[in-house]
Amino acid sequence: MAGVLLLVKIGWRNLWRNPRGTLLTALALGMGLTLLLISLGLLDGSQEQMIGNAVRFGTGHVVIQAQGYQQSGSQELLLPAPVMSAAEAFLHTDAMKHVVRGVSPRLLASGLLSSAANADGVDIMGVIPIEERTVSLIPQRIVEGSYLSDDQQSGIVIGTELARKLAVKIGGKLVLTSQMVQLPDTEAADTGGGEMQSTLLRVSGIFRTGVQAIDAHIIQMPLPEAQTLLGVPDRITEVAVLLEREGDSLMVAQDLRKQLTGTPVEILTWREAMPTLAQLVSLDEAFNYVMNGVVLAMVGLAIFNTILMRVLERRYEFGLCSALGLRPGQLAVMVIGESLALTTISLGLGLVLGLSAQHYFATSGLDLRWFFKSSLPTALVFDPIIYARLSVTRIASSVGIVFLTAIVISLYPALRAARTELPGALRVF
Amino acid sequence: MTGALLRLAWRNLWYNPGRTLIAMAAIGLGYAMLMFVACLMAGLRQQMIESGTGLLLSDIEVHAPDYYPDRPIQQTLGGRNGTDVNALLATIATAPGVQAASPRAYAYGLVSAAHQSVGAQLLGIVPAQERKTTVLQTRMVKGGYLTGQMPNGVVMGDELATALGVDVGSEIVLLTPAADGSTGNDVYTVVGLFHTGLDAMDRALVLMPLTSLQHLLRLSPARIHEVAIKLRDITTATTTAASLKASLSKTLPVRVMPWQELAPELADYVQFNRRVTFILFFIFFLLVAMGIINTMLMAIIQRTRELGMLMAVGMRPVQVVGLIVAEAASLAGASLVLGAALGSPLLWYLQVHGLNLGHKGGGVSLAGVLVGPLWYGRQDFTAYAQAALGLAVTALAAALYPALRAARFRPAEALRKV
Amino acid sequence: MGWQTARITICVGLVWLSLGQVCQAADDQRAQEIVDRVARLFASKSSIATVEMQIVKQDLKRTISMQFWSLGESKILVRIRQPPEDAGTAILKVGDKTWLYLPKANRTVDMPASMMMTSWMGSHFTLDDLVGQSRLTHDYVISASFAGYRDGVAVSEYTLTPKPAAAVVWGKIALEVRQADLMPVWQRYYDEDGKLVRELSFSDYKYVSGRLIPTHLVMRPLDQVGEQTTITYENLVFDAPISEDMFSLKNLKQ
Repeated sequence: MAGVLLLVKIGWRNLWRNPRGTLLTALALGMGLTLLLISLGLLDGSQEQMIGNAVRFGTGHVVIQAQGYQQSGSQELLLPAPVMSAAEAFLHTDAMKHVVRGVSPRLLASGLLSSAANADGVDIMGVIPIEERTVSLIPQRIVEGSYLSDDQQSGIVIGTELARKLAVKIGGKLVLTSQMVQLPDTEAADTGGGEMQSTLLRVSGIFRTGVQAIDAHIIQMPLPEAQTLLGVPDRITEVAVLLEREGDSLMVAQDLRKQLTGTPVEILTWREAMPTLAQLVSLDEAFNYVMNGVVLAMVGLAIFNTILMRVLERRYEFGLCSALGLRPGQLAVMVIGESLALTTISLGLGLVLGLSAQHYFATSGLDLRWFFKSSLPTALVFDPIIYARLSVTRIASSVGIVFLTAIVISLYPALRAARTELPGALRVF
Repeated sequence: MTGALLRLAWRNLWYNPGRTLIAMAAIGLGYAMLMFVACLMAGLRQQMIESGTGLLLSDIEVHAPDYYPDRPIQQTLGGRNGTDVNALLATIATAPGVQAASPRAYAYGLVSAAHQSVGAQLLGIVPAQERKTTVLQTRMVKGGYLTGQMPNGVVMGDELATALGVDVGSEIVLLTPAADGSTGNDVYTVVGLFHTGLDAMDRALVLMPLTSLQHLLRLSPARIHEVAIKLRDITTATTTAASLKASLSKTLPVRVMPWQELAPELADYVQFNRRVTFILFFIFFLLVAMGIINTMLMAIIQRTRELGMLMAVGMRPVQVVGLIVAEAASLAGASLVLGAALGSPLLWYLQVHGLNLGHKGGGVSLAGVLVGPLWYGRQDFTAYAQAALGLAVTALAAALYPALRAARFRPAEALRKV
Repeated sequence: MGWQTARITICVGLVWLSLGQVCQAADDQRAQEIVDRVARLFASKSSIATVEMQIVKQDLKRTISMQFWSLGESKILVRIRQPPEDAGTAILKVGDKTWLYLPKANRTVDMPASMMMTSWMGSHFTLDDLVGQSRLTHDYVISASFAGYRDGVAVSEYTLTPKPAAAVVWGKIALEVRQADLMPVWQRYYDEDGKLVRELSFSDYKYVSGRLIPTHLVMRPLDQVGEQTTITYENLVFDAPISEDMFSLKNLKQ
């Protein structure tokens, strides 16, 4: 046993006889890990971003709705007031603060928007501006005027397509007409259910998302105004929740369900609320799977190249060792010991480089426009800047895989070294 | 002189066949993998585009200049008097690159059943011609597609049918403002339901015979809103659209839109996909650079004596640099050839048989289109060439460091090295 | 001037001012009344009318002949008689619900309530134009802006400015009324930039059931050259007894 330890020590010192060479090899190997980490980080980040952007045009990562709303889309299915407050209270607790990025209660309905020139059917979103800003992307896509503000009671933001059709400018007058909602749990007969109401709104901002369906049909207005228009003073249709990490969606949904058991609500993750997006994401995951596989393979090849070369170099040296009396088994142990040490150093280097690069990409992002100066007319749906994101699991598994690959690859040369034929190995040049 | 240098470089590579072969294998395989990914992604993009346009959009659409996007029913091709539809179709169908063309009319109206009325888009088509341009007829889930036989038969999305509470055989009323200002209305029978997986179509689209819609809209048979075109090769969309515009504009004011203008979100995703694949190239180049630096450095350290001797007998430092760089270039070149050779059968396989992603990528709707679980590859020669070029440049650049180091050897010292 | 005189002057001044205000108020009051009268020209307990509507648009010219019944302000029934392709079509409005009967399809269709604000039968009028006039005094601040002779006729012009929260799209409406018989001559709709968007002209004043009303109305949109819609009332009768059954779905199908 003591023999093994000695062999390993010799192996270690072997490494340092040629410090520059060793470091260079370590760097080459380490680069493999670095690149793997960078590529994983960017791919994961870009997927997370894609999901993030998409859900910000929709219902957020998690959404609370009245039971049956997802299926029917009926305007009459609203969330009762106590549910709203319970949900909001829960989402704003300290425990949830680091998980939740934004919470936005909304009232959804349809109506007719008229200007002096024209009229068109629209999808109404009654929102609380300061909260909607934390969830939706529309406030960030304002091209003219400004987004709704809390103190301005009769503002409305519309898309460029709609503004064009209605021939209206910032500050222009619009009349929104809608039918009051018939609440199923009150006496429908005399609550004025079904009655038409109109309200005056002035354009405070015009947005452009690049998505035709949104720019031509969606309008946002202050929640209280919308509630008055529809005759539902304390109700909303949904609570949209945006999270810091997409990965927390399931957990948050479950927690909310626990908080709200017994109430007639449905809590959906984005996969359930936006099934077309879920499908798109699984396709993207498949795509990433392939990409990661290829990167791994390339890194594996690089490791293969580096290690094998190193060993081939030293046939002379191994030959010498054999000639001096080292048995094949011992030679193998020495080589393996070297490999282990080298791999560890490399991984250390690679990890340091990789994590620093990762940090850079996570904060400044990779600007794709750098590569493609040409056409990016609608950089609106797909963000040209990718921010990297790496979970600890990813890092651990990357290190693990590279380590294993390096070790496995070094086994072959170790065995070959052990069987070095003497006369051939001692041949110089 | 360069010729001799190159021959020397090549021979030098083979003095240590093991090292050279390993490096070639690594770089070559890496290149093969790059080609594999490029091919797969090109195929994916192709599939997405075809899915996105195949159902309804078609590759190119021809309209009257003011027609898109509001689609006012009065803006028919050729204005109020319309145009000779058959002649127009014939002209388009014989244009270079065009595989098929079909005429269409659109309207937005109310679909009314016993207790429910829902707004929907009405699309009038000629079934026999439309079959050649788009593939919606392959998505029927109940009943049959439109035939020439039933003028009042319509086909709608399954979700629309559910919302209305109707099924195959039910009667519905279509209501739409007609061209003469009256309210066009008539009774129709649902003959089939389709399912595309796309909300916009399943919930809000009704297909009917072109003549029926023209009749409903009080439009003469000479008035259509659009000609949908299918191309032999969809990658020629923009160029074919431009040439069509030039030739048609001589007799008819038109706007010719390729699919990129009709589905900008899809065009965006395709671009995005291409860019992300580029990241992979970048990683490959970095790895190759490291590998070459490593390999060459080891090589020159091993050949210190030899290099010292060369310099002692008169080889100038510049020539030493040239030699090392030439070696790297040859290595890269040989690896490329190897990689291409190894990769080609794989690429061929991808194109013909495809890659089955089964559970992970099954029947997905992406940026408004559907992509199946089987991914077919498509040759992307531009990408292969770009990768090869990048590889060559990287190899040359990477070789500079070891080459410069070799150039600084002092012959006397070098010769003494063991 | 002594302190005493000053006080008197101030008092007199104040009185003048308030008198002026009172006069102004009286003027506004009168204006209010007149505009209200105009708005209520067609309002009655009930009405039966044969109406001919001629629509002239860029690419079409159509004449629709219809029979029109109303009860109070919330029940309306319209039946189309001409042209033949639309004959038999009927629209029933009760409160905020509207139904459309289609004879060719022999179906009654629910119409969304927001149809009130969209073009009526492809014309330049909206249903709201035809039945929503009575909200003029409610939504607008009315002031007299001109009184004098135009084209040899003594007329008064009133400017209607929307109240701040009123749900109307217009920047202002100008209404010209004949001083002699308080008949409206024209009504002009302006957007907030002061651009004239549409003009409604009244003419052909006749006595119907004891009151004087214009029987010829023309609505002209100013951004479409040559377009207009003309409504002519023939056989108009006010306050004749109409049974409530008239305004039922069953009756609609007839």
